Amino acid sequence: MSFDWIKLLGFIVTPLIASVVGFTYMGLSRKITARVQNRVGPSVSQSFIDVVKLYSKKTAIHHGLMQHMGPVFAITASITTLFFIPVLKDSLFFANFSFRGDLVFLMYIMVFGQLGMALGAGQTGNPNSAIGVSRGLSQMVGYKVPYVLGLLAIMVHFKTTNLQELIAVQDGFRNWMIFQMPLASIAGLLAYLGFMAYAPFDVPFAPAELASGPPSEFGGKYLALMMTSRSIFTFAKLVLFVDLFFGGASNFFELLIKTFVLYLFALFVGLVNPRFRTEQSIQFWWKWPTAIGALALLLVAWKG
Amino acid sequence: MDQLLNIPAILAIAFAGSILVFITHSVFPKLRTAIILIFTILPAYLVWQLPADSGLVHFTLGGFDLSWGTNAYSRLFSLLIAGIGVLATIYSISFMKKRSRLGFFYLAFLTTISAMYGIVFSQDLLSLFFFWEIMTWASFLLVIYYSFEDQKAGIRYFVFSAIGAYSLLTAIVYLYSFTGDLSLAATFKVIPELDTTQITFITILFLLGFGVKSALMPVHVWAPDAYRSAPSPFTALFSGVLSKMGVFGMGLVLFKFMGGLEQGHIIREILAWLGGITALLATFYAIFQTDAKKLLAYSSIAQLGYITIGLAVGTPMSVMAAIFLALMHGIFKSMLFMGIGSVFLQTGSLDLNELTGLIRRMPLSFVTVLMGIITVAGVPPLGGFVGKWLLYESLITSEHYFLVAVTFISSTAAFLYLYRLIFSIFLGQEEKEFDHIKEVPWPMWVPMLILASLTMLTGLMPGLFFEPIAEAMKFLGFQQVNWEMSVLFNTWGNQIDLLAMSTSIFSVFLLGLAFITWKNYKTTRYVTTKDIHTSGEIPTENENLTYAVDFYRPFERAAAPVFKYKVTHFYESFAENAEHLFDLLRHVYTGNAQTYALYVVIFLVLLIVFSGWIFGIQI
Repeated sequence: MSFDWIKLLGFIVTPLIASVVGFTYMGLSRKITARVQNRVGPSVSQSFIDVVKLYSKKTAIHHGLMQHMGPVFAITASITTLFFIPVLKDSLFFANFSFRGDLVFLMYIMVFGQLGMALGAGQTGNPNSAIGVSRGLSQMVGYKVPYVLGLLAIMVHFKTTNLQELIAVQDGFRNWMIFQMPLASIAGLLAYLGFMAYAPFDVPFAPAELASGPPSEFGGKYLALMMTSRSIFTFAKLVLFVDLFFGGASNFFELLIKTFVLYLFALFVGLVNPRFRTEQSIQFWWKWPTAIGALALLLVAWKG
Repeated sequence: MDQLLNIPAILAIAFAGSILVFITHSVFPKLRTAIILIFTILPAYLVWQLPADSGLVHFTLGGFDLSWGTNAYSRLFSLLIAGIGVLATIYSISFMKKRSRLGFFYLAFLTTISAMYGIVFSQDLLSLFFFWEIMTWASFLLVIYYSFEDQKAGIRYFVFSAIGAYSLLTAIVYLYSFTGDLSLAATFKVIPELDTTQITFITILFLLGFGVKSALMPVHVWAPDAYRSAPSPFTALFSGVLSKMGVFGMGLVLFKFMGGLEQGHIIREILAWLGGITALLATFYAIFQTDAKKLLAYSSIAQLGYITIGLAVGTPMSVMAAIFLALMHGIFKSMLFMGIGSVFLQTGSLDLNELTGLIRRMPLSFVTVLMGIITVAGVPPLGGFVGKWLLYESLITSEHYFLVAVTFISSTAAFLYLYRLIFSIFLGQEEKEFDHIKEVPWPMWVPMLILASLTMLTGLMPGLFFEPIAEAMKFLGFQQVNWEMSVLFNTWGNQIDLLAMSTSIFSVFLLGLAFITWKNYKTTRYVTTKDIHTSGEIPTENENLTYAVDFYRPFERAAAPVFKYKVTHFYESFAENAEHLFDLLRHVYTGNAQTYALYVVIFLVLLIVFSGWIFGIQI
């Protein structure tokens, strides 16, 4: 019975850690961006300050029930995604539901929040939000293609769809997925850039043209909830890709290093690239990444 | 014996009902509603009471031995017909209130339902074909119900149905030449004795016949226009149930007729890929539709593609996925067509570019459409996810790697049209012209919400559906079908625990909702959709801030190279060329007697010259 309590504690602690790490990374990214652009930049704790301020603000207006529920949909999806991802290797405390779900489920639950957000943003009536959603969904069809091909290759090769089992086969540095199945991993990591939506793939938010798009009508506590959701989701995505391609992590120190390096990858690609147009972004994924993913799947299928 | 008499009784009551409605409509219009309800609910109740295996009722008609009966497989489909049939009928009563020619409408409507009962209860090929044709005729009358302009859609539907019917008839007659007995039981026995070519030929003919009704590419072209033209209550039935008759037939053909075609046979693979291509292309066409019903029609075609894949692959898991998806499609597509029909009834429009911001005017229709699109998208925790999960896992474990990629991509692209559907109609700017719109009356929203709650139930406890499906699959020849109430698992031993998932989703959702509602309840007030962030500019009353036209323009540009070709164009050019060919033939018949005399002479000369060839006679 006492074990169950510990598990319950895990369900509470995991999202908290996720949001703290997520906010820290967001703060760091602003600092790094500023240094690259030869500015001083805000302090690393700026994200925490922002979100605490937003939580304590009174929200004055809303546009109806769907907008009211939009951020809730988003945070539900973020936290549920996190529960089904093994945060640490061999740790029952952070395993949460990860033995009871699989990758196909994760692919779907990750869209749940975006759909909820899109619906919420839709009700506000802001044309920028609608344009942002239209771009975001279009872009999703772009990066999902190499993502699916890469992941399928991995699932088929190891004959499992469970993330825990996929971590288990990557024991030791030389068995990381990126070395075992380089092609599938490259396709997956290129798709990862789309998941993170940094430049050149930040078309849905495009601060300069769309005034940050879908979230533009959300203020106060709505925005606070959405920021929390975003930080948790960023962490969940990073852990997912570390679990998939870099062998997971057996302690927090390892996890932080791996996720941060992965985060920097998306950030640095963004810092040196201008934004794509939406169709360029889609076509980018439909060309080389898809070809690489298809080749990976073909090799696996051919080997039987 | 009691139970046995029920089937003729059900069919008699159902068919009598349709005629009775037609008569009473002109004599006692006030009794019409009562009669419609009695004659749809009574047969549905009797169907519900039928046992899974009732034995056969035999009788002779024109020298042919006909037999009717039920088994677990037909019972599953008869319950789908009964359920959706009753709900669509209740919905139709309010929907059709102000329209004319109601006697005609209900004659065709109830006849379609009755004929579908007939199809699933038929235990011989002749009555199957007979009811199949009645269904086609009745549904054709409904497709052209609204106006003369729908003739084109109607004729297209009819031509394709006729092609399907002829290939069915050919297959049946061909089979009869071997068996001399039309009953399904005898047919199942004889088929394994035929050689492969014969089985292949029969199978292709049957699949063509059934494939037309389930809108499989390349014989899908009738579907978008026919679904578009039919009145909404019937479209719900058309797409939800009538298309499942094709699925029903395909299931019979693939698992009962084709004893000789094992898994991985070329016909199965081709059929599965046809399903995959259908799903992918129909999804992409759906994205660019601006008419709500046409969009849903293409979506319907795509969903039927998934079902076909599952049936064609033919592992226990994929068949379970296919039948589950078929039931789910029956539920969510009728739900969506009903929701869109409500919007059409209240606003008179189906144009996605014109409608906007109805969420606060028609909240219940919004909830229905919302649940519907979440189910179609296959997002957890609703029922659509269960079907999608089973389908993907069954394809992965049965080594259809590229097919699963195609399926997955088309299902991701489905988000695009689904979001557009709900956004353009219910969300976005609220316009003055829609201020007077009210929610539809209760006979319309009650059926919609019943279906919506079913999608939730099946998402949490799909076992409720798995049980009858497993029974039906036993009839199809799958002895060992594993299922559990709330856990899905594949043959590799991976699983998804739906209870864990729903616990997580619902608890976090309720906590979040409680938090935001409790904190914001008193402080926030509602503002209109004109009161938004517009970079300092204040939008005037009449400023148009709706973003709906060309909603996916960037995607269209990106995907343009893929969409150069359309199958409809192929058929149209085929028809055109055929017309030219017949035009040439017209020149042969000049109307001049001397030309004809010349033809006769030429014919005789040719006959003499080639007589050795033709008759084997040497001159």
